[in-house]
Amino acid sequence: MSDRSLVQIAFYAALIAALGLLPPIAIPFLGGVPITAQSLGVMLAGVMLGPVRGALAVLLLLFLVALGAPLLSGGRGGLAVFAGPSVGFLIGWPVGAFVAGLIMQKTANYNVLVSAAFAAAIGGIGVIYAFGIPGLVVMTDLTFAKAAMGSAIYLPGDLVKVAIAAIVAQTVARGLPHALMSRA
Amino acid sequence: MIALQIPGPSWAHALPAHVKLLFLAFSGALLFPVKDPLVLGASVIVVFGFYASLGANGLAQLRLLRPFAYMLVFIVGLHALSGTLQNGISIALRLTAMVLLANFVSVTTRMDDMLDAVRPMFVPLKWIGGSPQKPALAVTLVIRFAPVLLTIYRNLQEAFRARTGQKSSWRLIAPLALQALRMSEHVAEALTARGGTKGLSGER
Amino acid sequence: MRAGRVNGGGQADMAFWSKRSKTNGGQAFNLSQDVYAAFENVSLKLGDRVVLNSVSLELRERRIGLVGLNGSGKSTLVRLLNGLRLPDSGTVRIFGAPTEDVTGDLPRHVGFVFQNPDHQAIFPTVEEEITFGLTQLGLPKKDAARDARAFLKLHDCERLAELPFSSLSEGQKQLICILAILVMGPQILVLDEPLSSLDGLASRLILKKLGSLEQRIVMVSHDLSTFADFDRILWLDEGTIRMDGVPGDVLPAYSADLDRRAANAEAGGGAL
Repeated sequence: MSDRSLVQIAFYAALIAALGLLPPIAIPFLGGVPITAQSLGVMLAGVMLGPVRGALAVLLLLFLVALGAPLLSGGRGGLAVFAGPSVGFLIGWPVGAFVAGLIMQKTANYNVLVSAAFAAAIGGIGVIYAFGIPGLVVMTDLTFAKAAMGSAIYLPGDLVKVAIAAIVAQTVARGLPHALMSRA
Repeated sequence: MIALQIPGPSWAHALPAHVKLLFLAFSGALLFPVKDPLVLGASVIVVFGFYASLGANGLAQLRLLRPFAYMLVFIVGLHALSGTLQNGISIALRLTAMVLLANFVSVTTRMDDMLDAVRPMFVPLKWIGGSPQKPALAVTLVIRFAPVLLTIYRNLQEAFRARTGQKSSWRLIAPLALQALRMSEHVAEALTARGGTKGLSGER
Repeated sequence: MRAGRVNGGGQADMAFWSKRSKTNGGQAFNLSQDVYAAFENVSLKLGDRVVLNSVSLELRERRIGLVGLNGSGKSTLVRLLNGLRLPDSGTVRIFGAPTEDVTGDLPRHVGFVFQNPDHQAIFPTVEEEITFGLTQLGLPKKDAARDARAFLKLHDCERLAELPFSSLSEGQKQLICILAILVMGPQILVLDEPLSSLDGLASRLILKKLGSLEQRIVMVSHDLSTFADFDRILWLDEGTIRMDGVPGDVLPAYSADLDRRAANAEAGGGAL
């Protein structure tokens, strides 16, 4: 791995952490569920860095969290987050980033906005929930339907993030084309 | 950067990190199949005792788990709706014991020690041509630059407010991502200028 | 001649370094030769733009300054010295060794200080930043940390050792970046606009520090007054050496050219 890749991975991990430290926005029409920008960072990692580096950036962040750095939204961190009910979502993060990056690569001929939205939706919502909800079932012994219902309150916020991720990807593609490494 | 750790010394701080990690893994495996609320309740009390043994600083830690408590209430509520209240209570107790125990290991172990404890995990990187040093270097970079990115975000916010009067906007995330990428190019160049991730020791 | 030595200057550094046997990456470098850097018909493109056009030079002076407008090729030229860029055609030799053959070993001999200290410092604390240079040279971590502490003391920076890098003043940050390079014991110190983020006092103090060093120095700056004590000035213009000589000749000519260009141009976007 080149120096450049290593630093990019570290910067994206830092970016996901920084996004998690921004104060959450409570959107009233979504029932006041607080939206944090952190999973947006996960989507962006895949969309911008591509599958391997994107997934490594997310893994690096989770590694720091496991070491005891309070870098998850709301200042959470340490091993406790991996013992809690939402551990499945965290496991889904690197996989989601990987899938998002892969989709960006495979759809390189399409418009950036469209393929980034698609990549963020499949990787950042589909994959993450596909790990998160079964994780919730295992950790809490709830039925699948109830676990899915409980997770659904975050869905509107996640859709907003998909839109933002797509717009950010397009802005970056215009402002610094070679920075969209998933397509380089 | 802020960290979770509470200041030592204590008996728990004195234990080597790998011992604490093994103990945590072992307890998790042991607690996971347990269904009896009495056993689980007793485990929670034992873990509370761990915190109490650290004095006031330790007990203050328990307050930080309030957001977690809401989640437990939610889970127990969903179980109650399905008529499995007792099961719900067992699960809430087990999650409490495990989360508190994991947190206990984190708050009594310095990040450096934790990193040293897991370093052997990275030795296999050598077999695939990687360097076991790289994960540690990457960790350092994140710790150094996460606060820098927050500062960049605040500067963008200020520039945005100066021109629009609005406090903040999701639109700042794109320039933040751009600036982070530009900065990463500079940092990568500076790292290469000092011999890069491989070092100059002659080993390649 | 140079300003008088400030405390903890070059000779102390050399004493610090003579304590260890310095492995010399390869035998390709001839450190005793007079000409430390030689450019032979060096050309380089970035995309379609010609950044350097057949530049030939021999650098042997202790203090060399580079002036020129943005985009004139200064940054590229100094990056060629440390292997951050390699020529498209022609050869750059450092102590006789072509840079493309010794890229990985160049940081040992050619230290590079960047414009913005925040882009250079990788580690959260000052001590770790200095230690990194020594571990890069292959020292075990414990020895490196001990030597880093000694080096900071030598340069009167001991009290900064445990501070977070972000808490330092701009001048302190740049000083630590320079020390983080010096601790690796380079023969040549390349600096790309090292003073541009500093206030007047800090930049004078950094200059004074640089003046006290044994290393050969190649420095880019837009502030012409910083070059008063230098031995030689290179003026780059559109990828070629426009003028090459002592500061007393080159700096006034460069300055006059800037005045002439400004007077002849409209104050609009076209000329900028």
